[in-house]
This record gives sequence, structure tokens and C-alpha cells, in this order.
Amino acid sequence: MSTVTAFDVYVDRINRGEPLSADEIRELAVTPDILSLGMLADTVRRRLHETRATFLRVADVAFDNQAMLGQSPAAREIRLTGSPSTLAAAVAAVEAARAVAGDRKVAGFSWDDIARWSAGASTGQVLARLRQAGLDAIVDLPLDVIDDPRYAVESLKDAGFLQLRLTISKAPADARTPLLIRAAQLQDSAGAIHALNPLPLSLSTFRPTTGYEDVKMVALARLAAPNVPSIQVDWQRYGPKLAQVALTFGADDIDGVSASDEAPEGRRRAPRAEIERNIEAAGLLPVERDGWFNLLQS
Amino acid sequence: MIDSIVAKVRDGGRVSAEEALALYHHAPTHVLGRLADGIRLRKHPEQVVTYIIDRNVNYTNICVARCNFCAFYRPVGSGEGYVLGFEEIFHKIDETIAVGGNQLLLQGGHNPDLPIQWYEDLFRGVKARYPDFKLHALSPPEVLHISRLNQLSTTQVIERLVAAGLDSIPGGGAEILVDRVRKLLNCYSKATSDEWIGIMRQAHLAGLRTTATMMYGTVETDEERIEHMMRLRDLQDETGGFTAFITWSYQPEHTEHGGFEETGVDYLRTLALSRIVLDNFDNLQASWVTQGGKVGQLSLAYGANDMGSVMIEENVVRAAGAAYCMDELEIVVNIEDAGFLPKRRNMHYEILGDPIFREREVPRMLALATARADGDTSVPDELKNYEARSRHGRQLRLGQ
Repeated sequence: MSTVTAFDVYVDRINRGEPLSADEIRELAVTPDILSLGMLADTVRRRLHETRATFLRVADVAFDNQAMLGQSPAAREIRLTGSPSTLAAAVAAVEAARAVAGDRKVAGFSWDDIARWSAGASTGQVLARLRQAGLDAIVDLPLDVIDDPRYAVESLKDAGFLQLRLTISKAPADARTPLLIRAAQLQDSAGAIHALNPLPLSLSTFRPTTGYEDVKMVALARLAAPNVPSIQVDWQRYGPKLAQVALTFGADDIDGVSASDEAPEGRRRAPRAEIERNIEAAGLLPVERDGWFNLLQS
Repeated sequence: MIDSIVAKVRDGGRVSAEEALALYHHAPTHVLGRLADGIRLRKHPEQVVTYIIDRNVNYTNICVARCNFCAFYRPVGSGEGYVLGFEEIFHKIDETIAVGGNQLLLQGGHNPDLPIQWYEDLFRGVKARYPDFKLHALSPPEVLHISRLNQLSTTQVIERLVAAGLDSIPGGGAEILVDRVRKLLNCYSKATSDEWIGIMRQAHLAGLRTTATMMYGTVETDEERIEHMMRLRDLQDETGGFTAFITWSYQPEHTEHGGFEETGVDYLRTLALSRIVLDNFDNLQASWVTQGGKVGQLSLAYGANDMGSVMIEENVVRAAGAAYCMDELEIVVNIEDAGFLPKRRNMHYEILGDPIFREREVPRMLALATARADGDTSVPDELKNYEARSRHGRQLRLGQ
């Protein structure tokens, strides 16, 4: 009962808009009581987003396969995948995507790519060149990989990249809590962060994450970083069931929804009706958004 | 109203159907989960989560029931129809024992060409070769099918099968125990709700322990889902013969009924409600085979205290689109990751020991086996010893 009482105190504080301290987040990270953790995170989530859950339909296009750019008109973001060997190749891919994107967001690449292309030039120049070509966002800013996240965030801001999304590449569960706390600190000091995707983007087949681990990390992200507007979960990587359950553990945005309603992806298919059905079954209101987090309709 | 029901459940009270419906409709998912988790903790304070190493064998896919939610069955005469030979089944048992298993979950279609003698000979053959090996076999609709085919009462069928080696009866074929639903799913004729309940009562009175199941997410209303639970609760009050309850969502792919699978949150809510309503059931299994490992593991926070079976083989759910696999190592990792102590059990939920792979080397199992390799249409030799009822079956015997 004492655990319940402690959680009730947390709920009261969260309802008053009071963030939990880093020490409190670290304490919560070791609790086996994921339901209470989920309730806390859901309280924060509802204070920020009420019953709304957003989703983004994305067209993933290999940077060197421009023939695919015209596909998936329903996508609200064109996401270039792969890692061009040179900045010139990246710029060419961005320009090709920009030409067909219209008002849709064009995103791509990781901070690793930026660092590699900056070998003979300044990071600022590389980012400015990509912005000039029409790139709107860097897809992967992995907190567990970037040496100096503060520098990365400031550089991106200076180059005009807004609404940044922080990610985790492959850090194990016990190493992720400090990263979530760091995300909140970065937002306090630098701002410009709009989303945090706390589940690893690189999946290990040898040691896959577990359901407990995933929902706990989503809940901790929501609690650790109440100053970051969105906590995301990836629909294709984590599948409809886990992504849906994550919405009850603090996530408010489903990223990476396939824009193709006809893709023969079996149980992972993601027609719009399917994702809306999942969000509604979680007791939430589905709202599609564009790449800039503008709500399209409800 | 919800607050008073929540308080009642926390105090160990029993909910009515109306209260269960109110909880299901209005209680947030975390509240349902915490109530269910509280009941699990009261029943299992030692924080043990169990599992069984057994093999899910489907001895035939030929079936005259034609349930419209089933993607597994083949009609009489189908080129894809099969009956496993005794030697094939013995080989599966050998493989099961090799990975530490102690039981077959043996179920199959309603095959008109398998008289009761076939089942008796199979069971006796298993017990002769493997005296300690358990047969958890033949769901109530199969018992009813055998009784009709052989013009015996279901009590006689159970008596003869027990004499041949039947140890316990699985709770398959329950679907939703409401006849309106059963008629719509075309499974009313295989067994009505009363017939399913009646056969389970007979089994319990004969000293057998059985499980109970619920397949939800087809055409039933929420009220009917709860009516199903109430019927099970009533029989459990009467006999105490159920060892466990297992619920899973309808798997729609390749079925005549079609439609959608209910979501993961629906599953967790239904599981939690089951734990609350079925207050006289000690054990609730997680259905990782339909929900996947992650939601399967999360079931342990929503009332489940058992990770079910390692399975080794699965055919029915796979035919309808679900193809998840977890071997003993993965099941144990998931149990421990959730903060519980993993223990092997038998069908009676008696603890058999710690994970077998920690006692000796066991081969990893990265995919569930199937009944037969694709394209294997061989007909077992011993079938010619049993009288066939269908014309196709008789022709097949003549060709042997």
C-alpha cells in the first residue's frame, strides 16, 4: 500500500504541473510496478494532449532510388533512408525529393552522416547546404551516439532546423534513463526539441527488447521530459500491438506509419483505418498530423 | 458507480454481470490492470509465474464442423487433408521429451473417418511407450463428435478414453458460450453452449481436470463475453474442475468470417476483466501465441500468472495469420524481466522445477514446427484398420 500512496503523491504533483526530479525518475526506473508507472505517465500525457493521439504517415524512400519518390501521395513526410557517401549525393537526393514533396516535409539522414560530411568543412556549412537543398529535418539524432548533443542541437537550430526529434539508437534499457533525463535538460537549455522517441531504432534479433522494457521506457520518457511536447513510438518497428499499448503508457504520437494502404505487409499493414481503429480502441482520439506536427483533421 | 465496484473488487468481493460490464465499459485500462494484478498477487503471493513444456499437436485437419472462423480445417476429400500416423505422433513425443516436455496437447478436426477405436489405440500406444507422458486431449466438441459418430453417450466416450490413457481435457471449442453467437459462427452444431458446459461437467465428475477458454472478437457483444465468463464461473463453483482459463483474440486471416483482429489493448482489458470475474479460477494464461511476446509478457501485469506452453508446434492459429514463437529460454527471459520467478509446471499446475535449460543442454527452437511438411500427403498405414464413414475415406482405405 505504501507504493500506491507514493504514486498517489506523484499523481497530485503531476496534476499540478510539477515535474519530477532526476533522482525521482531514477527511482521510478527500477520499479517493477509498470501499471503505476503507466498511470503517472498517462497523467502527464493527458495534461499535455488530453485524449488526442496523433499519427504521421511517412513515405520511406531510399536516397538513391528517386523513381520511388512519386509513390505514396498520402504521405505527409518524405523520409530519405540510407546513408549517402558524400554530401553532394545527399544534396542531390534532397533536391529530388523536394521537387516532388510540395508542402510536405522532407527529412533524412542521421547526425553520424552530418559529422562524416563535415570532415572537410564546418558542420554549419554542411547543415546550411542541406537546408538550402530543401531538407526540413534530420531523422536520427541518437542521444546514445552523439558525442555532444548540446552542440548538435545548437548547430541544427542555427541552420534553421526546428522541431527536432531526439532518438535512441541501441542503448540497452539500463543505459537509457540518463539519456531521457539528458533530453529534458537539453530542452531546458537549448529548446527546439519537439519529440523524443525513447525506443531503440536498431533492433537486436539476438536480444530483442521486451514488452515491459518498452512500455516502461515510454512512460519514463514522458515523466522525465514533460517539457518535450511529444513522446513517439514507431508503428512499423514496434508493431501495432506494442505501439497501441504504448499510447496508454505516455506516448502521444505514432511515427512511421506506412503511407501505402495496399502494401502487402501482412499483420504489420498500416492502412489509415487500422491505425485509427487501434487508437480508438486505446480510448483515444486519432488525429493525423503533418511532418510539422500540424493537426490535419480529427 | 465505478468507484464502488473498484472498491468492492479490491476488498475481495465478487462482481455481478452488470458490474463487470460497467467495469469493462468505464474503467481505465490501468485501473482494470491494477485490480487484476491485485487478485493475481492475492492468489500467487510467491511471485512465481509458471509455464509448461508441451507440444500442440493436431492429429487431423479434416473436419465436418466448418466453423466460419477457422482457417485450419479442410473438408472431407480435400487434397490438403491429413491424418497423422501413430509413428509420426510418437516421433513428435520423442522430440518433445528431448526439450524437456511431458505432455501433448492433442486436438484435431471432426474427422468422420476416425472411429473411437483409433483414439483408444493411439492413447494406449502412447502410454505403452511413454508411461509417464501426459495426454491433454480432445476438447468437448471432439468428445461430442466421437459420441455422435460412434453412437455412444459422451459419458461413455470419456470413460473409454480415460481407460485408454486420457489424462485431462483442454477447453477448446468454447469460443463464446452463447448460442446466438455460436449460430452466427456456424459452431452451434458442433456443440451448443449447454453441451460444452455439460461435457466439462461430466469430465469433472469423472475426476478429470480441464481448462477453459474463450475466443473473443468475432460477433459477440460485450454482454455476451461476460455471459461466457459467468457460465464458466458457475460451473467452477459447482465442480472446481477447471485448472485454468485462457482467452485469445480471434485471428481473421484466411477465414471465411474475415474481419479484423481485436487490438492489444482490447486483449489486456479482456484478460484483466477475466481475472476479476473468474474469481474462482486460480490460473490465467497469457496468450503470447496470438498477441506476440511483448503483449504476452505484459499480460503478467494484467492478471495472468502463467505464460502457457512452449508449444513446440502450432497449426491452428498459424493458419489464421499468427506466427509468433518463443522457446523456453525466451519465455523464461520474459518472466524474469517482468520481475517474476519462472517455474515449470504440469497440467495440474504442480511445480516441476526450474527451467530445464538450466539443468541440461536443450536445443534452441527458433520456429514452431508444423503438423507436417508442406506437400506431405502420405496416408498412415494403420488407417486401413479403422472403418471409414465417408465415401472419400472408404476409397482411401481401398487404395491402401
